[in-house]
Amino acid sequence: MKKWMLAALALSLVLMFPACAKKAAKVEPAQGPAVEQVEEPTAKVEKPVLSEEELFQQKSLEELNKDQVLKKINFDFDMYTIREDMKPILQANANWLLKFPTVEVLVEGHCDERGTIEYNIALGEKRAEAAKNYLVSLGMSPAKVKIISYGKSKPLVQGVDEATYFQNRRAEFVITKK
Amino acid sequence: MKTMRRTILASVVLLLALALPAQEEITIRIREGMPMIPVALPAFQLDAAARGSAEAAAVYETLWQDLEFSRIFKMVPREHYAYIPAFRPDAIRFKDWASIQANILVSGQLELADDDRLIFSFKVYEVAGERFIFGRNFGGKKDLARLIAHRAADEMLKHFGERPLFTSKIAYVRESGNDRDIYIMDYDGQRPTRITFSNALDMLPSWSADNEKILYTSYRNLSPELFMFDLYSGRTGLISSGGSNYAADWSPTGDRIVYTSSKHGNAEIYLRDMKTGQEKRLTFNPAIDTSPCWSPSGREIAFTSQRGGTPQIYVMDAEGSNVRRITLEGSYHDSPAWSPDGMRLAFVSRIENRFDIYVYNLKSNELSKLTENAGRNENPSWSPDGRHLVFSSNRGGRYQLYLVDYDGRNVRQLTRDGENKMPKWQKPSR
Repeated sequence: MKKWMLAALALSLVLMFPACAKKAAKVEPAQGPAVEQVEEPTAKVEKPVLSEEELFQQKSLEELNKDQVLKKINFDFDMYTIREDMKPILQANANWLLKFPTVEVLVEGHCDERGTIEYNIALGEKRAEAAKNYLVSLGMSPAKVKIISYGKSKPLVQGVDEATYFQNRRAEFVITKK
Repeated sequence: MKTMRRTILASVVLLLALALPAQEEITIRIREGMPMIPVALPAFQLDAAARGSAEAAAVYETLWQDLEFSRIFKMVPREHYAYIPAFRPDAIRFKDWASIQANILVSGQLELADDDRLIFSFKVYEVAGERFIFGRNFGGKKDLARLIAHRAADEMLKHFGERPLFTSKIAYVRESGNDRDIYIMDYDGQRPTRITFSNALDMLPSWSADNEKILYTSYRNLSPELFMFDLYSGRTGLISSGGSNYAADWSPTGDRIVYTSSKHGNAEIYLRDMKTGQEKRLTFNPAIDTSPCWSPSGREIAFTSQRGGTPQIYVMDAEGSNVRRITLEGSYHDSPAWSPDGMRLAFVSRIENRFDIYVYNLKSNELSKLTENAGRNENPSWSPDGRHLVFSSNRGGRYQLYLVDYDGRNVRQLTRDGENKMPKWQKPSR
């Protein structure tokens, strides 16, 4: 019984089709249009990597110093001889300085707090001088390097342990002209 | 009566106790081996309306503290005055004051005039002889009460054959943030006055022989240069530049200074004639030479040199010749300060990373330690009378100024606000 009923329904649907099809064209499709993906192709534009020279030209003195293009070196207690492990740093500083012959640099000598004020001014000056002499030995023009000692007036970090003292016993290289 | 006797006994014992250690100091001036003179200072007389009582209290307390500080006088404790009848200027009962062990009696009277000026009169009596010794009257604006007391105390010193001390000033460096400026204050830490106003580091002040000028180092032109400030004209002049210029000391004769400069490359000591501006280099070696300091005779200069490998104290003739080493032991000595009597050198030594102040007796070759296990102690400077020193110490955390007697006794803190360093006591007045 079910089979002949299904067949009759199917037949009637087929007979009705042309009329139905006409009607359906006026109704919106239940699913709407397909989503079109909007994309923008990545432009093949790259920020050019500035050469060291271009960076140097671009940056102000303050920025160069803030970026610490010249690294500071540290000293042994009461000493002003250049430590072996600081020589590569001075070499790197000299390499950079020799690339830019217009640069003038001020070497600041500093001490840790364990010393008298008067003696530390002299000791800081000896440290700055030792750093300057090393740069000169690597080809730097002595006229382009000035020195100043702050003794123990300007510690980099505060503290009372050897690690702190070591950080404070230093020569810093400040670019004063480019 | 029994209590009183006990008190008298106690003060005699105290007197002996104070006298005994003093006798060990054989080579120091005679007065230092003598017992201190007991002084009674009864409350001052005011007018009937008791006007100026606040000022009278200020003068009284200041005078008391000065005399007690002196190491010449010793104040009879105030509690003892209660055992005898109150002081009456018109009827002094010397026997009563003798009974409480007073040798000297000082009476004072203070008036506050209508123009707000003070008049302070004081009289000094010898108790045993029951006689008036001397008296003085001082007048001044009422905010100068402390200065008036210092003047009176100086008169006491002068009368007993001593150099004035209490009107002397101390120059020092006060630090706030990245700024450091020179200040001066009374010897007791009161009435600080700012002297320099640069935004850079100003440091290491040093008095001229006449105490009217201050030499100091300033980074105001971006390098450590030596300047001279005239306190009374207000003028500042540049003395030396090029390299580092610092640690100046004015000769006792007033015509020359010595200072450290690296103007020719290395830290050396220079002698400069302040009238002609002519300079003479005194040290010649590649080591550090610094911290020159005149002997009170003006014939010798003590200084620090690292020529032997470590910083040590040396003495040379004022012309730079005849150099001899003073410190033989230890690996770090600096900041020599020659005592006004010429007999002693105070300096800072670092021993096992402790910085303490030592006094070296040039006659007996004895070394004594003034500070003990209390932070870092630096920059000793003698009082004009040679009985006291001022120094800086971070024993309380931050650097502050302290006083100590020549024998290490009576340490007292002078400054409390901010951070204070590099004290220099005025030179003995000539």
